[in-house]
Amino acid sequence: MTAAGSPADSVTAEWNMIAREVAAGRRFAGLMGTQQGDAVLLSAHLTGPGEVTTHDVVLPADASSYPALTPVLGAAFWYEREIHDLFGIVPEGHPRLEPLILPLAGEHAPHPRPGAPGLAPAAIWPDEHSVPRHVLGPGLFTIPHGPVRSGVMESIEYLVETPGEDIPHLNMRLFYKHRGIEKRLEQLTVGDGVLLAERTEGVASVAHALAYAHAVEQIGGTSEVPWRAGLVRVLHAELERLAAHVDAATRLADAAGLAVATARFGLHKERVARLVGRMCGSRFGRGVVVPGGVSGMPMVSGSDFLAEISRMERAVTADARVLMGTASFLDRLRGTGPLRPERAREHGALGPIGKASGFSDDARGTRPYDAYPGLGLGDPPEHRAGDALARLRVRWDEVRQSFHLLRQAADELSGAGEGPLRLPGEVSSGRAAGWAEAPQGEVLYDLRIEDGRITRCRPRSASFHNLVLFHEVFAGDILTDFPFIEASFGLSVAGVAL
Amino acid sequence: MSPWVLRGLRDGVVTTRWPARPDPYAEGWRGPAVVLDARSDRVANLVSLCPTGSISQGSDGEVTLDQGCCILCGRCVQERPDVFGWSRGAAAAALSRTGLVVPEIGETDQGLAAVRAALAARTAALRRSVHLRHVDAGSDGAEEQEIAALLNPVYDIHRLGIFFTASPRHADVLLVTGAGAHGMAEPLRRTYAGMPDPKIVIAIGTDAVSGGLLGGNAEDTAADGTPRQPVSGDGAPAGGTSASAGIPGGSYATSGGVGAVVPVDVWIPGSPPPPFAILHGLLAGLGRLPGRQESEGARR
Amino acid sequence: MSGFSVVFAAGLSAFGLAGMVDLIVGARRDRLRSLPYLTGAAGAACLAMTGAGALAGHPARLAVAGWLGRGTAPMAADRLSGLFLVIAFSAAFAVSLAFAAWAARPGAVGRRGLGASYALTLGAVAVFMTAGDAFTALLAWELLTIAFYLLAGFERGRAGRPGAAFITLAFGKISGAALLLGLLLLAVRSGSLDLASFAVVPPGAARDAAQALLIAGFAVKVGLVPFQVWLPRGYAAAPGPARAIMGGVAVNAGFYGLWRTLGLLGAPPAWLIGTLLVLAGLTALLGIAHAAVQPRLQRVIAYSSVENSGLILAGYGVALVGTAIHDERLVAVGLLAATLQIIAHAAAKSLLFTSSAVITSDEEGGLPSAGDDSLDALRGSARHRPWSGTGLAIGSLTLAGLPLTMGFVSEWFLLEALMQQFRVPVLGYRLLLAIAGAAVALTAGFAGVTFVRLIGLVVLGPPAGKDGSGAAGSAGGGRWDSGRRWDGGWLGRAGIVILSACCLAMTALLPLLIRALAAGLSPVVPAMVTNGARQSAWVLGPVFSGFSVLSPSWLWIVMPLLALAVLAFTRLVAGTRMTRVRRVPAWRSATAGIEGADSYTAGGFANPTRRVLAAVLHTRSELRPLTTAPEPDTQDPADLKSEPATDLAPVPGPRLSYSSDVIEVVEDYVYRPMLGPVMALVGTAKRLQSGRLDAYLAYMLIALVALLALVTALA
Repeated sequence: MTAAGSPADSVTAEWNMIAREVAAGRRFAGLMGTQQGDAVLLSAHLTGPGEVTTHDVVLPADASSYPALTPVLGAAFWYEREIHDLFGIVPEGHPRLEPLILPLAGEHAPHPRPGAPGLAPAAIWPDEHSVPRHVLGPGLFTIPHGPVRSGVMESIEYLVETPGEDIPHLNMRLFYKHRGIEKRLEQLTVGDGVLLAERTEGVASVAHALAYAHAVEQIGGTSEVPWRAGLVRVLHAELERLAAHVDAATRLADAAGLAVATARFGLHKERVARLVGRMCGSRFGRGVVVPGGVSGMPMVSGSDFLAEISRMERAVTADARVLMGTASFLDRLRGTGPLRPERAREHGALGPIGKASGFSDDARGTRPYDAYPGLGLGDPPEHRAGDALARLRVRWDEVRQSFHLLRQAADELSGAGEGPLRLPGEVSSGRAAGWAEAPQGEVLYDLRIEDGRITRCRPRSASFHNLVLFHEVFAGDILTDFPFIEASFGLSVAGVAL
Repeated sequence: MSPWVLRGLRDGVVTTRWPARPDPYAEGWRGPAVVLDARSDRVANLVSLCPTGSISQGSDGEVTLDQGCCILCGRCVQERPDVFGWSRGAAAAALSRTGLVVPEIGETDQGLAAVRAALAARTAALRRSVHLRHVDAGSDGAEEQEIAALLNPVYDIHRLGIFFTASPRHADVLLVTGAGAHGMAEPLRRTYAGMPDPKIVIAIGTDAVSGGLLGGNAEDTAADGTPRQPVSGDGAPAGGTSASAGIPGGSYATSGGVGAVVPVDVWIPGSPPPPFAILHGLLAGLGRLPGRQESEGARR
Repeated sequence: MSGFSVVFAAGLSAFGLAGMVDLIVGARRDRLRSLPYLTGAAGAACLAMTGAGALAGHPARLAVAGWLGRGTAPMAADRLSGLFLVIAFSAAFAVSLAFAAWAARPGAVGRRGLGASYALTLGAVAVFMTAGDAFTALLAWELLTIAFYLLAGFERGRAGRPGAAFITLAFGKISGAALLLGLLLLAVRSGSLDLASFAVVPPGAARDAAQALLIAGFAVKVGLVPFQVWLPRGYAAAPGPARAIMGGVAVNAGFYGLWRTLGLLGAPPAWLIGTLLVLAGLTALLGIAHAAVQPRLQRVIAYSSVENSGLILAGYGVALVGTAIHDERLVAVGLLAATLQIIAHAAAKSLLFTSSAVITSDEEGGLPSAGDDSLDALRGSARHRPWSGTGLAIGSLTLAGLPLTMGFVSEWFLLEALMQQFRVPVLGYRLLLAIAGAAVALTAGFAGVTFVRLIGLVVLGPPAGKDGSGAAGSAGGGRWDSGRRWDGGWLGRAGIVILSACCLAMTALLPLLIRALAAGLSPVVPAMVTNGARQSAWVLGPVFSGFSVLSPSWLWIVMPLLALAVLAFTRLVAGTRMTRVRRVPAWRSATAGIEGADSYTAGGFANPTRRVLAAVLHTRSELRPLTTAPEPDTQDPADLKSEPATDLAPVPGPRLSYSSDVIEVVEDYVYRPMLGPVMALVGTAKRLQSGRLDAYLAYMLIALVALLALVTALA
């Protein structure tokens, strides 16, 4: 029961203001909760050119519910379900409040409540039977697919409701991989936090580390790292983007049964991974980004790097051209899994998914960081079809852009001379939001530290924001289109279930 | 004619010949940290160097490092290069959990031989054609990419007669990644129960071996994963993080590695382990490594 | 009278006795209720023996025609009649046993009359098959129609049954009218009512018209497009094993009629042959298309009857072509294929209907409820009723045409017969045979899909009602698991075993069977030609030598041996490990599970077929949201691909419901448009029934005057 009168009204007023801002052109980027004593603080993030603003609203102490944001702003759908799972407070008016990442049985189940450092919770076991189990109406049956899927894939369960051939509707169960990252981040030191940030979403390690580091640097009062450090960061971020897009192409070719294409793109991805490993000792670029700069220069000379990049560019571009000329492959992707442009804009779809539907909010361009302001991003072409083919085309555009950026950054780095690689000094207290553009889209970190220790850190990956759109892209597609749609999304479940 | 037919012939043969012939990439790989000089000074507190608590100091200052908890952050090597260093090579796997502790204690040699013999007896039928089933028990996604890389032309696991399968009914080897998320404990058990004997279980990645940074409140879970009486707040779990460093126990949602859920036969540390390390661990578990490369862990 | 004539007479009187017993005794006492059927079984056995004797060359004869009125020739069982008597009444014997067991259950039969209708059916079939003159034949045919009407309308209290009975009667009357016209035309031309005299009718328009009418009349009975609309309704409406009598025994009367027409009148005009071939292919395809998507068991089996009629008539068409071009071998192979298919169909259809009657029967007695035979409600029935489940499986395998069953052999022969089209010199016939061949091949494929669904769901599936899974669509949530249910009693099981043995064992003894068939078909095609199908002692071919061979007897030896060899090898290599079994739950990708339908339902399995055959079935599907929650309705129901129109955040999915309909094309496009004008006509004709005496007297006067004028003009 809410306290009557003004607290609910103030929350509603705040939500209406946010809705107005979104209608005016800003983008909704996330909603999170923080436990502060007995009360819960809700923070909403909105992005615009050049900045990310945070809007806080404090709920009354021991409040068990609050007016929901979702009826006013649909993009908050999963965020409020997550808040309900983690804190146990009910968003009133939420159209479908079911457990998302942590199903708990009973009224008095202990909730993790991130933000309250003193209460390190004991083990919490999710209840498999608390998720909705009885589905749908006559004529349809459900094929449960997961969590152990039929390949080397991350654990997620899809409940495909079908009359036997089409997929009119799809449900997802995400709670299997919940690892309690948000709670674990608390009590870590600022230096250790980047280690866990890298391991939140393995396929976007560098981007997560960057977003975290940006948040720390913002708290420290500066958003400028040394030029050389910024270039090294760009190198690793773009190499990660390359690897992710080539991996998406590999999965699509594998789904279509093109064995040679799968092998070729697998080879390219291996070369990228080996290059990254030679540069920093980790095939995923871990250990490079630290708050304030980078930990060291790449262990590969500039000329070697440029030679390798050129070789890779020629090979990847040639194979991509042949792939995009294979008619049977294109047939499978054309018109499959379409996301309507209005929907993408309304939800604020991130990354290639949004760009394929005409909505582009690339953080490297609109809110640039590191060395991106000094490098040219270029002007990639627009797409509006929103189907799997458009998403693949967007990925190839980004691959071309990445190669260009890599060459530029490597050139600049060779001629950049000497200098520090890290900002001096330690950061002790404050709160800020940091962001970076991962291959899947923008990653946002809301960080609050006190005395050099993290008291609240919320990693909002692009996968969490985008995966909810998976429900809506099955328009007349059949069961065999499923792997194409999933591969064209290219999201990581680890970043969703956290 | 399809444009792909000749395309596959570019670049010639890129497949590695490992384990028949040594591979420079495998041998040059930088693996988990090792202790270079075990008898160090008794004054310095080396334990707090490691964010996952893999460094232990005995009462006489003897330093040991549990590679199963090493996430390759490099902090110990950077701070104390006289005591700690990197291991080289992809032979990081061990057939027992204690086999991952460096430097190894002498008496475990016999135990190790016994473990090896028992494993070989179980896998006698699995020499030439093996099927793998992978389960993700809460990983961050990187280990899956490294396992999937085994299918690319460079490693080409099919040339060794090893295949991936979708059904556990056809599988001989269970590859588990991830820190043992509680949500996946039951599905993992179902998969394990659905596999016919003989079968072996391989834990891939530091998260699966010990939970890594998500150490887990080991005291809260029994060996079969059922939760015991929850401990409040400041319980100091074993095998994960160290309480003395002021870092509280791992995560409420993981079990500190998958050893608590299924019986593991081969432990492969790394964050994530490269495909060569996975391949090495797999062949060691199947007893297919030529003699000298038995899985002693990367002690070099 | 010879011995077989005595047996013949005994059989017919047994039927009469059975009918009287049922009418006198009624349905009061359990034991006595099965008496008519047991008597009928004895009669069927007698008639089968008569037929066997006739096949062997000892025709039976019964000169009772004069008693029935205008009959002129005695009832005689020659070789062709003998063949069909054996086929029909062997099946009838087994079905009667099961019928006796079925009727003996308390509350199974509510009132008297079922046994009488059953006896009437069998009697009418017997008389028709041995009729020597047109009058007897027509009498028997009309009695058969009435018997069908009585059987279909027996449970007249249930929904849909009166309509089904009426349609059965209507189409029966249509066939009777066609037969009447045809036979009378021939009788006028030949000057006598004897069937044998029709063979010498000179060719001309009258003979062609008569032949067309006769073939049309018999085609209505067996269910050829566009007359097949009564079959599914009529068969499904009859109670219990009466369906087997209708669909497995009595339908052979129609085929006998067609065979006899060919034997008496020879080749029909070319346009009739062409129409028949095309319609046969279409019937087969339409039948199996509908069978593949029906949600109810009895309908599936009934539509399969339509399909088989198409197949049999395709073989008959080959024989007609052969007669037209005077190639006896083509006639032989066509008739052989069609007759083998008749045998397979008789055995399998009787088996299927009998087994399904047992499976859908309720333990507590009483007739099964109307919706009880939906495939979803019958999942896993074989676990409770192993005998009838096995019978269902064997019948399904036979009709699907799998090796080691009779259906495989008959379909092989049929396709081989159709493939001989390259030997036909006339291009038109060649094309038509090719079209029919393509349709038959396509049908065989879909038959596999249809019967896999039947076996997979009804025989092998997990029992309905367990954990709520698989019970989607049955409002009551399936049955509770109470262990074994009534499985036919020992009589019913005997019947099922006999029919299953026929389906399987006849394959091994096929050469002997072909010798018998050659003898039976000798009134139509010389036995020596038909015996050309036996190319050596155990190897068969499609009459033309050097084309292809088949040896089902060797198959029966080799295939089981191979299976045993595999088992032996596995046992050798695996040792005792093969028998150590650890049972774990089925692998569903380690899911936490859901309640409700979580695996393929009968409708879901048929969905791809519905889509692929949408042209034939005119599939219409509809996806509709079920929720009436306060949020705005976001899904447009009629169109699967439509965009949700909303200005608020769409919610991932309201509850949806899906329904899919197929329509019977022939009914919709041929009969429904006729309904209007016909009713108008009827309305006009009703005006004749004015109820006024002077009007009736006027009619009589006009009729008399017209008759006098006609007689005067003709004289």
